[in-house]
Amino acid sequence: MNKFQKLKSKNGNELILLVIFVALFILMSILSPGKFLSVTNLQTMAFQMPEFGLMAIAMMIAVLTKGINLSIITGSTLASIIAGYFMTTEFAQNNAVVAVILAVCISLLIAALTGVINGTIIAYIGVAPMLVTLGTKMLFEGLGLQFTKGGSVSGFPLLFGEIGNGSVAGIPYTIIIYAVIVVLSYFLFERSKWGTEVYMIGCNETATRFSGINTKRVLMKVYIYSGVMAGISGILISSRYCSAKTDYGSSYLMQALTAVVLGGTSIAGGFGTVAGTVIAVGIVQVISTGLNVFGINRYIINIITGGILIAVLIIRYVSGKISDQKKIKARNAEAQKAA
Amino acid sequence: MQIIEKLTKKKEMGILVMIIVLSIILAFANSNFLTLNNIFDFLRSNAVLGIMAFGVLPVLLTGGIDLSISSTIALCAVVAGEFMLAFPSSNILIVIIISMAVGAVVGAINGLIITKFDIPPIVATLGTQTIILAGVLLYTNGVWISGLPQWFISFGQIQLGAFHSVGKVVGLSMQVILLIVAGLITWLIIKYTLLGRGIYAIGGNKQSAMRVGYNVNKITIFVYIFAGLMTGLAAVTHISIVGQVDPNTYLNYEMDVFAIVFIGGTSVVGGFGTVLGTSLGIVLMAIIKNGLVLAKVPTYWQKVVMGLIILLTVSVDVINRKREQAKLVRVDVEEEEVDKRE
Repeated sequence: MNKFQKLKSKNGNELILLVIFVALFILMSILSPGKFLSVTNLQTMAFQMPEFGLMAIAMMIAVLTKGINLSIITGSTLASIIAGYFMTTEFAQNNAVVAVILAVCISLLIAALTGVINGTIIAYIGVAPMLVTLGTKMLFEGLGLQFTKGGSVSGFPLLFGEIGNGSVAGIPYTIIIYAVIVVLSYFLFERSKWGTEVYMIGCNETATRFSGINTKRVLMKVYIYSGVMAGISGILISSRYCSAKTDYGSSYLMQALTAVVLGGTSIAGGFGTVAGTVIAVGIVQVISTGLNVFGINRYIINIITGGILIAVLIIRYVSGKISDQKKIKARNAEAQKAA
Repeated sequence: MQIIEKLTKKKEMGILVMIIVLSIILAFANSNFLTLNNIFDFLRSNAVLGIMAFGVLPVLLTGGIDLSISSTIALCAVVAGEFMLAFPSSNILIVIIISMAVGAVVGAINGLIITKFDIPPIVATLGTQTIILAGVLLYTNGVWISGLPQWFISFGQIQLGAFHSVGKVVGLSMQVILLIVAGLITWLIIKYTLLGRGIYAIGGNKQSAMRVGYNVNKITIFVYIFAGLMTGLAAVTHISIVGQVDPNTYLNYEMDVFAIVFIGGTSVVGGFGTVLGTSLGIVLMAIIKNGLVLAKVPTYWQKVVMGLIILLTVSVDVINRKREQAKLVRVDVEEEEVDKRE
């Protein structure tokens, strides 16, 4: 019991989220056991969640520094389009194994490059992240369209499709990749020196700089990490479809931001846990898949996702105000007693 | 001499020079470019983005941002279209008022969310953008609204002072007039009213503006309502050009609008920017787009160019700002040294 209380006081937000997740899962299962709990649906969720979760982590690291990364989707599709073109070359068709490894490397390299572009303008020139990533979002989308002319790239080696569709002992590769990256992100964000610096920048960038930390380099790494995470997600998406297109994953931007905010990451930077984001990703995924299973229009699902984003922020603001007032009252009462 | 020095120092002058240089290049590259016909045509086709640019100018001046305008214009256009189908015997004024009212409501919601719950504008308007667009597409199913009444179609084709030039009718079209009216209203508000001063003050320093006595929340709500109103006007302008409502066409409109405002010299951190600059931004952006078309650049490159323009203008603005601040610091130091010597 003591242990539980300790956990509750330390990770209260994550516990509440976990309860919501389980409750939603049970609710969806009761409402539509045949459909929601079917093997194919659970499999679809298992394959989709990693893509979405990686996008959320890409968004989270930017939000932690009081920034935002709106270019995650178009950056990742640009990376997978360029890698996709490489995989349609004759060389790639003849050497599938080498080609897939090289394609993954190309994807990650381009994704890292998108991060370098964002990071350079944000950290070294000092432009607000929202404007920079708004511009690069458009830039990457335009470049992607320039390659594909609005169509899609396909005809990849079959082996590439294995990444997004294959599984070992019933566990999809995507889930394994996702799990590894979640653990890696946890240690990088919450247990490493760099992670601490990231949180510090989110709290107060000037103070962080004056305490002798090279904030520019830290921010640069943040946007590179964000780009690479989105790039990995892009690889999973293009592997699942066995093609690459600029439209793929476009709904993930809003969902990723919603999951990050729902997961307890402060939009003003400096607070947030990987665990919270991961559970929130599960919640948003259950809601969107669940509603999809019920045959609810995807536009309504979009409305709900946007609604959750704003509602969570409003609730957090109001509850913050209420707890502030309680504290003030308690302090006033104490002061009166002392007097 | 002083006048020339003053003029060259102005940001607007640089934009004007760019417009002139680009025009000369394009005129040589394509003889069609400098014809009155082409000029009126591209002004007309850029009127929608221009009106929206005037609308978001005050928002950007306060240091905020409104991503929801692209969804709001779709909503206003659909409401205006449906209204005209339902009441084919109404008139243009009512349509404009209704469309602007819808925009104002959206703006008020944005403003209230941003001020009352302290949510960053980028997140709040990204949320409303998603919700509104999804709502519009849910309602219309992406289907076009056509069969608008004849009086509306002919309103869109009105040309003032029309005359024949090279076998074609050339004149100031209704859309350009609406654009000019929108510009004038914005200019009057931000330059000559206390509200306008407040907008600049908030953009310069929110805390100071509050201490001086401006009601920051009220002004912030107003700028988002103003963006909504102008977006409503832009919606009617757009469907009067096209003659029907296509709810899918407005995707990414906000990017073009921001590109116009930023290229027009508005500072990305708020507090600096003029209606004149934005007007020149509209012309410059129209010339760039027109030039890309005339130079037969594939449409996909236009997005790349637009993205690059946004990145370049905001970067240059920040670099200039830093340089100016560095200068100020140096002046301060020098003055102090002089004081000490005395």
